[in-house]
Amino acid sequence: MNVLIKNIYNPFKTQCQIVRNLHVSPIYLKTQAGRYRITPKKDFPLTYEMANPPHMIASRKAWNSWNTSNVQGGLRSSETAVEDHFIRKFMIGTWHGLFVSEIIIKRQHNIIRIAGLISRTASSRKMYFLIGYTEELLSIWLQCPVKLELQTVADKKDVIFKYI
Amino acid sequence: MNRLIPLLGWRNVQRCFSSVAASEAISSESETDKLIKTLELEVRGNDPAVLKSFCKFAVTAGNHFGLESKTWNLRKPTNERFTVLKSVHIYKKHRVQYEIRTYFSFVQYSLLTGSTADTLLEYVERNLPEGVALKATKVEVQQMPDHIKSS
Amino acid sequence: MLNLTKNIERIIIRNIEKQYIASYFSAPNEQNDDFKALNLKTNKSQFGPRRPLRKVKPVETRTSQMEVDQDWGSVWPAPRSFHPAVVPLPIRQGYVEKGAPPDKYANAELMKIPNFLHLTPPVIKRQCEALKKFCTPWPKNLNNQEKIEKLFPIEVISSDYCHSSPTIRDPLARIVTIRFKKSALNLNERETDKFRRLVGERYNEENDTVTIVTDRCPLKKQNYDYAMYLLTALYHESKNVEPWEELKNEADMEKYVWENNASKVNVERLFNKTSSEIPNISVYSEALVNYMNEGENDYTVAKYGEAVKQLLNLPSSTK
Repeated sequence: MNVLIKNIYNPFKTQCQIVRNLHVSPIYLKTQAGRYRITPKKDFPLTYEMANPPHMIASRKAWNSWNTSNVQGGLRSSETAVEDHFIRKFMIGTWHGLFVSEIIIKRQHNIIRIAGLISRTASSRKMYFLIGYTEELLSIWLQCPVKLELQTVADKKDVIFKYI
Repeated sequence: MNRLIPLLGWRNVQRCFSSVAASEAISSESETDKLIKTLELEVRGNDPAVLKSFCKFAVTAGNHFGLESKTWNLRKPTNERFTVLKSVHIYKKHRVQYEIRTYFSFVQYSLLTGSTADTLLEYVERNLPEGVALKATKVEVQQMPDHIKSS
Repeated sequence: MLNLTKNIERIIIRNIEKQYIASYFSAPNEQNDDFKALNLKTNKSQFGPRRPLRKVKPVETRTSQMEVDQDWGSVWPAPRSFHPAVVPLPIRQGYVEKGAPPDKYANAELMKIPNFLHLTPPVIKRQCEALKKFCTPWPKNLNNQEKIEKLFPIEVISSDYCHSSPTIRDPLARIVTIRFKKSALNLNERETDKFRRLVGERYNEENDTVTIVTDRCPLKKQNYDYAMYLLTALYHESKNVEPWEELKNEADMEKYVWENNASKVNVERLFNKTSSEIPNISVYSEALVNYMNEGENDYTVAKYGEAVKQLLNLPSSTK
């Protein structure tokens, strides 16, 4: 008990008591979305798509979704956005680790064409199955014909544009 | 029963007539063709280069059909701009601006018949590239209706 | 019979039992001696040497097997994303600060941009030739604008829309516009006046056209029928004379007509003649009508003064 009291009244202890303060400073207003930070070793691989920040769309790089919802007077913009997101999620999950580029979705009339680059690691048999599976399921869900237009690359390094 | 028989007979006759009339209409193609003075396509898209290529295609197709066709475009796009806060919640001074550019191009064909217009439109619309919306405006010429002409 | 089958069954079952017992006693005898230890730690020696991955040799690209004079339309028949193995062109796309842009192999930019490789000029020509059999030529006699306007005075304007969406409906496609010249209706003075009042701002005075836009029905056909109904109704309504229309007096006139006005009576009384016998009366009446209809300005006032002097045989101020 004695020891305890001593501890409490220790002048040194009371001095360096930790005080909690609310630290207020302006937020760091730097645009981060779609931009990549340089690594110390400069070994972070970027594709062409990643190397160009979003404000370069329409000048150095093109869009990943091609549809008429975002032109003036376009219909179904929200539905198209949600469907495109769903397609992207589905493609990434189904073709797990195979896509080496962004997924490009092109809509022409009621046809949806999905393009992209995939690595040649999966066997061709598996790939044929996946193509059929994806087309069939997506066309049932989205109620319109879906086509896959894939291009294979031998090595993942083929798509790398630069290292930062 | 007596009344029924002539009734049945009349019905049969009628049916015969109607079938004859229908078959005649199909064989002789009595439907008159429409006359379309101008057919104007308005294409809009986000990428001017795609529109340019498409208009070139449409004009080439029109020329192959033997039609007078021309194309022009609006040089500047219409911009739809959204100005939003850069931050999620406060800091009014820091804004981001997003814009959607829509480019317009036009193709015009003049003096076509209805069947030519349908064929051409079908062909051109089928080859519409992705991300391009099309509006086809037909100016059809018609005769005055008979009930206005005669009186 | 029953007994016999029972007996057979019994024999069979007994035989099976015998076999099982024999196998039970004979089988474990051999394995009992070396009981396999459960090996939790796996080491590499446990498995055999790893099979080398079978590398599938990629098929030779199609571009290398193409002939120079091949039919490109059958190589690329329909719209499709770019594929470097099919297109034998050294295309490059992309922006590099220093050096050449990225080439076609594994280039996502080339896959994004819509290509027109299926619409090369010879292919367009071939397809148009094939489609021409569905076309009909424009009537040869109907070659100039005046003839078309005279024979086919009504213009029906409607639009079709083409979007990239699963539905082909566009609510704007329902709108129908009809346009015609007022002169095509052959209305007389009174009917024209009534027609103008009925049509209101849909009439354009500059080019004498009436434009009726209908968009209140959900379908194009219905809107067209409605527009034609409006045209008919307008025509017959302006032909129709209601009893209260006879009550129209000078104050209701939309423009000044000299023949109906007090001016004519006054002039006739002044000269004691009917208006047709008075010299220079046409100049006077024209100047007065212009003055009343166009409003007061220097030109009309001067003109009116001149006309009055001529009518009364007074010396003109300019002389």
